[in-house]
Amino acid sequence: MNQHTYLRAYMAGIVLPTILLIGVATAFCIARYVYNIPVPVERVIVFPMAVVPNLWGLWNMLFIGSHARTHLSIGLHGAVLPLLLGPLGFLLTRILDFPVPHDELARILPILGPIALIAYYLVWKYIVGFLNGVLGIAQT
Amino acid sequence: MNQQDDKELQALLKQAIAPVKDTELPRDLWPEMLKKLDRQPARIPWFDWALAALLSVALLFFPGVIPALLYHL
Repeated sequence: MNQHTYLRAYMAGIVLPTILLIGVATAFCIARYVYNIPVPVERVIVFPMAVVPNLWGLWNMLFIGSHARTHLSIGLHGAVLPLLLGPLGFLLTRILDFPVPHDELARILPILGPIALIAYYLVWKYIVGFLNGVLGIAQT
Repeated sequence: MNQQDDKELQALLKQAIAPVKDTELPRDLWPEMLKKLDRQPARIPWFDWALAALLSVALLFFPGVIPALLYHL
C-alpha cells in the first residue's frame, strides 16, 4: 500500500482535531447560547473548524515529505506546529475583532506556550504517529 | 431451464470471465505474522511520562489556558 501517500498523511493528520472539534464546538455553543456567556465565539469558530484540521493534515504531509531529509521525529515535528498556529489564531482574533483580554493573555502566555509545545509533542508522537502507522505511512 | 441450457450458460460464463492466473501467494506471510505477534508493545519512555505528568499538573494549576489550548487544537 504505497499509493497516495500524501493523501493518507493528510487524512491521518486531520483525524484528531476533527474529532475534538465536535466536543469543543458543542461546549462553546452551549456556553454561548444556553448560558449566554458574552463571548462571540461564532466569530472565531472558523479557526478550530477549518484552519486547524487542515493545517494538521498539511503538517503531516510535510512530515512525510521531509522526513527523509530532516530525520526529525514526529513528536518534535508536531511540537513546532503551535509556533505557527498560535500567532495565526491570535491574528485571526484581531482581524475578526474578537475581544481578547490582553492582560489575561499576557499572564497566561508564558504558561500556555510550554503547555502547547508539550501537548503537541505528545499528541503527535503517540496519536498522529499511531494513525500514520494504521494507514501504512509510519515514519518515527 | 434444462441441463443443456445449464451447460451452455456455464460455457458462456467461462468464456466471459478470464481464468485467474497466479493464484499462489508470491511469498509466505506466516513468518511475518509470527514476527508481528512476537513484537513487544511500544514502551513509553520515562521522559514522555514526565512530560505528561507536567502537562496534567500545569493544566490543573492553570485551568485558564484550557480554552486557549482547545482553540488551537
